[in-house]
Amino acid sequence: MKKTENNKNPSRAEVWEQEISIYEDIILARQKVKVMMQEMGFSVLAQTRIVTAVSELARNIVIHAGGKGRMSVCEVSKTGKRGGLKCIFEDRGPGIENIEKAMQSGFSTSNSLGLGLSGAKKLCNEFYIESFLGKGTTVTIIEWLP
Amino acid sequence: MASEKKEIAALLSKYQEEILDAWHRQLIVRSNSLMEIIGLTEAKSFTQGILEHFITLFPLAETENDENKSYREIDDLFSDLSGKMTSQNISPSEIAVFIFSMKEAVFPILQKYIDNKDLSGAIISAGRLIDRFAVNTFEIYLNTREKIISEQQRAFMEISVPVVRVWHRIIMIPLIGMLDSERTQLMMEVMLTALEDTQSKVAILDISGIPVVDTLVARHLITAASAAKLMGAECIITGVRSRIAQTLVQLGVDLGDVVTRTTMSDGLQLALELTGQKIGE
Repeated sequence: MKKTENNKNPSRAEVWEQEISIYEDIILARQKVKVMMQEMGFSVLAQTRIVTAVSELARNIVIHAGGKGRMSVCEVSKTGKRGGLKCIFEDRGPGIENIEKAMQSGFSTSNSLGLGLSGAKKLCNEFYIESFLGKGTTVTIIEWLP
Repeated sequence: MASEKKEIAALLSKYQEEILDAWHRQLIVRSNSLMEIIGLTEAKSFTQGILEHFITLFPLAETENDENKSYREIDDLFSDLSGKMTSQNISPSEIAVFIFSMKEAVFPILQKYIDNKDLSGAIISAGRLIDRFAVNTFEIYLNTREKIISEQQRAFMEISVPVVRVWHRIIMIPLIGMLDSERTQLMMEVMLTALEDTQSKVAILDISGIPVVDTLVARHLITAASAAKLMGAECIITGVRSRIAQTLVQLGVDLGDVVTRTTMSDGLQLALELTGQKIGE
């Protein structure tokens, strides 16, 4: 996955970034995403879904990557038609050994429900995960306006 | 150069009173509001301390820095000054004026007693040290502010968990904000203690005030419910709005045997039924 955006509309390519290191950062990340989605005109249900996914993914950075990561949020557009919101979660944690296993419902290396990653995937339109052992993990989610 | 600097320091030390007087006059003219807040006596103790340190530090080479004891002492003095001003809501620009107005007190003395050929050098060195003082105060001001912010944040996170005894043998706990592990621990303790103390059979946990219900919150709620069950009590979760229900289903969270209701009144109704009580019609 390339970090550069293939954004067709450069005027909307404003990227908002935030370090995710402590629990309070999760709150800030959620609030930022919520406000952006409100401005873009997403439904309350979509807002709730995506903010919940953001909460899961941001917390993964705090818990599993030792708070060494960041979230970036930007608006994207699909060949000029529909607008959408893209959130990228990058961390410099240990990486995931077995992504397939990590994506299974109920699998957890901490004492959690094990639904964070799999749940986040179900909550948004598009979900991409990439991980390198010893280097870190990148999760990208996109939600399109209806 | 070093000996010249020593001479200048001696000169400043000799005319200390004059400098302080000029400085105070400057302060009264330029930052009247600040003087009103901290008062002349307190301002005098700061100006005196700053000037004394200025005289000690002036002859030292500029490369010699923070390791020096005098620098540490003046840092303490500045943090005292900044701390006082921050707590009284004095703006950083006013603090800067406080320090910068020292120039107008020191430079005339230099002009008066130093030969023309050495004057510009002396003024540059003195100006540089005063600038450095100002930068220091500003840094300390920022640190103080940041400390206040993080303290407030902590205080905010520690909003206690209130227990409301809504009816005989029914308690209600409104949950607000983010349910992190600490807050959950507190919530569990408070709930279990209240169940025991009031001999209640039903605990209503209201999650209307929780902005995001994710897997962590869900897990905490399940744990709380099973703990209550161990004490022979029932846990009812209220405030589950439709969008939260949909999100939880998509997340794959199974709240299983936890009883949930959309509104507080439905929850209370159920609680009354569970405890075999009725509100007189």
